[in-house]
Amino acid sequence: MNVKIEKISDVTVVMVEGEVNLSNSMSLRASLKKLMDDGSRKISVDLLKVAFIDSSGLAVLIEAVQNLEPLKGQLRLCNVNANIRGIFEITKIHKLINIYENRELALKDF
Amino acid sequence: MYMQIKEAIPSRLEIIPDFIARLIERLNDLPLNEETIFSVKLCLQEAVVNAVKHGNKFNENAKVEVAILIDSGELTLEVTDQGQGFIPKEVPDPTTPENITKLSGRGIFLIKKNMNKVLFVNRGRTIRMTKILK
Repeated sequence: MNVKIEKISDVTVVMVEGEVNLSNSMSLRASLKKLMDDGSRKISVDLLKVAFIDSSGLAVLIEAVQNLEPLKGQLRLCNVNANIRGIFEITKIHKLINIYENRELALKDF
Repeated sequence: MYMQIKEAIPSRLEIIPDFIARLIERLNDLPLNEETIFSVKLCLQEAVVNAVKHGNKFNENAKVEVAILIDSGELTLEVTDQGQGFIPKEVPDPTTPENITKLSGRGIFLIKKNMNKVLFVNRGRTIRMTKILK
């Protein structure tokens, strides 16, 4: 898994590439935590190049949302493929994290 | 379509993703659709992680056995640990308001939602997951 960071105006876009599973989800967690520590409060996680995520990856995203809440920050997801979107819906995590069709829509809604 | 695979690994979390990837590679030769492959991968991953964590309690000397059988239009996955077993009905629903923000406890739920039939046998040491192939 690779993580690329891009700043667009006051939004930090986190482009994740590869699978998110228990062998690397802590690395994504560390990247998100560092962004928050460095002052990012609007974070959009782009999953365009992610084909698989397991429950450890879900946990990292939920935790990031929880950590941003007291900082008055927000996390958005975009470009989520159908299989992964299915997981978010089954687990009802889509009620905790806003999911957008593409990056532009996610950025627009911050 | 017929295939049978049986493998076993020591209870080490870090080796699970590669182990699952190798199993999935062997399924890629079969005419299974992308959604089925995704479900199988997810369910195997979650079941093996549970077996290592909750079943064998990270005891590296305890094995996790995985069996895959594809026959008569059904795909069956079995994951067996060497732990004390558990009572499946005591596992809480992760989608209730009090549990939805928890950072763990979604594995069995995801498995049940992705498979057509899930059975716990051998006092919960074995999870048998069946998907009907379309």
